[in-house]
Amino acid sequence: MNLKTVNRVSKALSNVFIVFGAIGLLAMTVIVSWQVFGRYVLKESPDWSEQTALILMIWYVLFAAAAGVREGFHIRIEALEKAVPKNVAFVMRLLSNIIVCLCGLALMIWGTQLVIGTWSHLVPTLGIPRGAVYLALPIGGTLIVLFSIERLINDLISRKNIGAGNN
Amino acid sequence: MAMTILLGSLFALLLLGVPVAFALLASSILTFIALDFHLIVVFQRMASGMSVFTLMAIPFFVFAGDLMYRSGIADRLVRVAEGFFGFGRGGLGRVNIGASMLFGAVSGSAIASASAMGSALTPLMREKGYDGDYAVNVTVTAAIVGLLIPPSHNMIIYAASAGKGVSVGELFLAGIVPGILTGALLMVVAWLVAIKRDYPSGKFPGWKNLLGSFIWAIPGLMTAIIIMGGILSGIFTATESSAIAVVYTILIGLFVYRTLGWSRLFESAKESVKITAMVLLIIGAATSFGYALAILEAPTKLATLITTITDNPILILLIINVILLFLGTFMDMSPLIVITTPIFLPVAVQAGIDPVHFGIIMMLNLGIGLVTPPVGAVLFVGSAVGKVPIEQTVKTIAPFYAALVVALLIISFVPSLSLTLPSLIK
Repeated sequence: MNLKTVNRVSKALSNVFIVFGAIGLLAMTVIVSWQVFGRYVLKESPDWSEQTALILMIWYVLFAAAAGVREGFHIRIEALEKAVPKNVAFVMRLLSNIIVCLCGLALMIWGTQLVIGTWSHLVPTLGIPRGAVYLALPIGGTLIVLFSIERLINDLISRKNIGAGNN
Repeated sequence: MAMTILLGSLFALLLLGVPVAFALLASSILTFIALDFHLIVVFQRMASGMSVFTLMAIPFFVFAGDLMYRSGIADRLVRVAEGFFGFGRGGLGRVNIGASMLFGAVSGSAIASASAMGSALTPLMREKGYDGDYAVNVTVTAAIVGLLIPPSHNMIIYAASAGKGVSVGELFLAGIVPGILTGALLMVVAWLVAIKRDYPSGKFPGWKNLLGSFIWAIPGLMTAIIIMGGILSGIFTATESSAIAVVYTILIGLFVYRTLGWSRLFESAKESVKITAMVLLIIGAATSFGYALAILEAPTKLATLITTITDNPILILLIINVILLFLGTFMDMSPLIVITTPIFLPVAVQAGIDPVHFGIIMMLNLGIGLVTPPVGAVLFVGSAVGKVPIEQTVKTIAPFYAALVVALLIISFVPSLSLTLPSLIK
């Protein structure tokens, strides 16, 4: 599998995550409005709605946050990176990517422990394990690791190509 | 020692260009390693920090704001503001501020406001002979007024961080007068700068046109009444009101103004998801960071430090304001609310400051941080939409900063501006 294929697959994946998020947001809107509708029109407020909407949000936030690592939409300070010479900026970007990758790794490892530790707690009104809700963390972490590694490789290769062009 | 690691690594990582959320997370992890605590706690805090019902108002208000921008509700508010404020020298500057205030009353997101007003008004202002930097200066500082004018999702984050005793309804009411005051001060500055730069004068469109544009904007303006009326009467919670605002905006966009198609609706949902993911990840990481600060007893230490310097409420408020302004320049608003509310609110309350009043101070103070480099989300968005480099925007923005700081001082030291309206409904 060459790098181009990897990039294509990962681009498609991150798009899917954002689309998944958009559907999640729309579903959340319907659920919370349904709760109001239920209370006043049906005179019976659904008890599952709030928790369900919240769980949806946690899941799509982690997927979209991982996609954000790939698309680079997370807010950050670029002032120093812009002020230093290109070589230094390149190293800064590498380091920054590695740190994001390590954060993803930590999310993977201790997120999994969190899932195991909270599996016996049940979410009120829904009766599903709290750990199942938190499963979004290690999954999001894994995706963050994959996307940041992809960025790292792309950065290194484009650097090498630029270097070759200069010679 | 652990404190040095926590703050030192945060600053270093932020400067390095690590995204804010990951910088917060990484510095919390490092501190926990140094303290030899189990790292699972970092992620448990992060998860619980994101699992708060009221935070669901963030995606909803962001989504509603973006929809209002895409469905042209924002443009109709501009039309109304043109009628009210467009006449006289530099009229479009005041139109921009007035429209941002109206937009603030129907939407809870300063970023949506900056992109809506920026795209509606910067091209028009350029065409009429205004400079790009002036247009962006006005747009981004006016967007901050929307943080004070209800609804505001940042007020909901504050209410969630402050815990019991601070109601979203009271905060919403408390922001109205300070919001109008700040908007008025910005209008004065915009007018003075316009005279200096010799910008063109606008004409009054006539009562008939004014009435026409007002009627045309009523469906959009109704959002404000639905949200505020719904919350204050107890018909729905703040979170529910934000979801209703989305549904209402979609309905009038699809069926009344007919400017919103299904593909635009979906585009808007995707854009809102990106912003939500960014903000909520930051809030989660900030919760861990705040917990690390709490373990290191930073809140109590800082509180004792401030109270040993002075017990004068005015000085305490000044000190807190200066610290928050400083932090606001390089940190985003939402993590700062999550991290600093538990630190400063007890100090403020002990000095006799009402928690609702303190919340309003915090909104404007940290709002100023949104338009100051190096990290200023609203400044970035406004500059991008207005197609003016940030460096150029910042060169001429000082008079507008001055207006915001003067407003902050007045709001800080005249509590009745914030507290009169909420006291009326109690």
